[in-house]
Amino acid sequence: MSGQNVVVDRSLLGSAIAHVPRADSGHVSGISRMDLTEHRSHFGRRHPSHSTSGAALIDELAAVGLTGRGGGHFPAAAKWRSVAAAGPGGLVVVNGAEGEPGSAKDAVLWQTRPHLILDGVVCAMETIGAREGIVWLHQGADSTIRSVRSAIAERAAAGETDGSLRVVLAPDRYLSGEATSIIRTIEGGPTLPRFVLNPAQPWSDGGRPVLVNNTETMARAGLVALRGAAQYVPTSLLTVISRGHRSVVEVTADQTFGMVVAAHWSDFTAGVPQAILLGGYGGSWVSWTDIREMRIDPAALKPAGLSLGAGLVGPLPSTACGIEESTRLVNYLAGQSARQCGPCVFGLADVAKLCDDLTAGALTSTGRKRLVRFMDEIAGRGACRHPDGAIRMVTSALHVFGADVAKHRRGRTCNAKVFGVMPLPGEQS
Amino acid sequence: MTRHHAHEARQQVSDVAGPTLRIDPSVCDGVGICAHLAPDLIALDSWGYPIIDDHVLVRKRQQRQANAAVSACPKKALFISG
Repeated sequence: MSGQNVVVDRSLLGSAIAHVPRADSGHVSGISRMDLTEHRSHFGRRHPSHSTSGAALIDELAAVGLTGRGGGHFPAAAKWRSVAAAGPGGLVVVNGAEGEPGSAKDAVLWQTRPHLILDGVVCAMETIGAREGIVWLHQGADSTIRSVRSAIAERAAAGETDGSLRVVLAPDRYLSGEATSIIRTIEGGPTLPRFVLNPAQPWSDGGRPVLVNNTETMARAGLVALRGAAQYVPTSLLTVISRGHRSVVEVTADQTFGMVVAAHWSDFTAGVPQAILLGGYGGSWVSWTDIREMRIDPAALKPAGLSLGAGLVGPLPSTACGIEESTRLVNYLAGQSARQCGPCVFGLADVAKLCDDLTAGALTSTGRKRLVRFMDEIAGRGACRHPDGAIRMVTSALHVFGADVAKHRRGRTCNAKVFGVMPLPGEQS
Repeated sequence: MTRHHAHEARQQVSDVAGPTLRIDPSVCDGVGICAHLAPDLIALDSWGYPIIDDHVLVRKRQQRQANAAVSACPKKALFISG
């Protein structure tokens, strides 16, 4: 049902559904990989006279309203312009170190459409006058790394002069995917986020200009370059989390969350979910009643204060407890702090501890006030957005699962039967 | 300055150009000397880390306090921008 009306040669995946194991760094099945020959016959050639590049490509990215798909949804055209304005000799990085443990769309794109992404990278290099292109991947993402390395080799064998494209492997941590972590590493520093005064030019003073875009964003830039803005279909890639596996689907903006969950959440047969976690583990819980009829359209979500973030859709079964699940997630997020900024290191740890108390039915009314005050103090005070995401998730949980909060507060716990709904790195698939 | 005031200050994006007190939170160690030197601009949070009022420093007294805090920070986490 999903994606039926997506025209295949103008979209990333079309109506195909990709399956990925529950644990991270998974091997993708359900969609076959397009090698260079298949890619060229499907999407057309990337040739100076056929593909769009330079200022014209930036105008087309602006015309289709392309935004970053890693979570921030910053307009891609503005970012490309800002890096181009800094002068030639820079670097293009495609960020494939998906920070969100639940999301699998980057893995799906790399393992099925590697050349579309690399075409995006090459066009970005031409556009901003970069000398080098880097594919930034998690070191544990074996199937993805293999597909990217083969793709680069296929291009070299076909005699395509793509400048220099190379793979750089990042530690398997949540914050390895932060743009500032990447730039800091490239500049010879540690793989940790850093504070930047001017987010539009996040590289060091006097350093090489660096354009960092998420994998999906770069694939979409490739699509615009090959097919043109007039042909572009504004779709979204979602990762739907079921108990046994994850599905990655491409959906059009006229579809609702209700339709997608009914079609792709394999636990739906046991009843509708009570809520979904939207965007990522640092996203927002939204009740099923509130989200069911909403369209999967970033523009329609914005007025409701919601974002597709990294495209995660995590339904919570009615037999699970949103407070238990959120406590588990905030403990994970607190543990993934880069341990640089005080409000993140100490603040998130305290928030996680108070959530533990809440889950155990031991949160006092003073504790409840402290939890709210701590979250108010932490917001906006990290060098990166990591603590803000954790706070957003917990705040939405207290709101959406108000009934569970009340149950846990009376010194009892709820009667949840299902635990550990969202996958975390390191657990068994 | 109350904590609430500081929080409000963080939420607003000033459209008035001029110098503001800023912090690199990844460098700050929560020494806290800044809050004593710039009580009008800095409050300490529950963990002893500074919450900065990043409004434009319009008054002489604010500028004096900001300068004192910047030069006293042993981690060089504070700076004035704009």
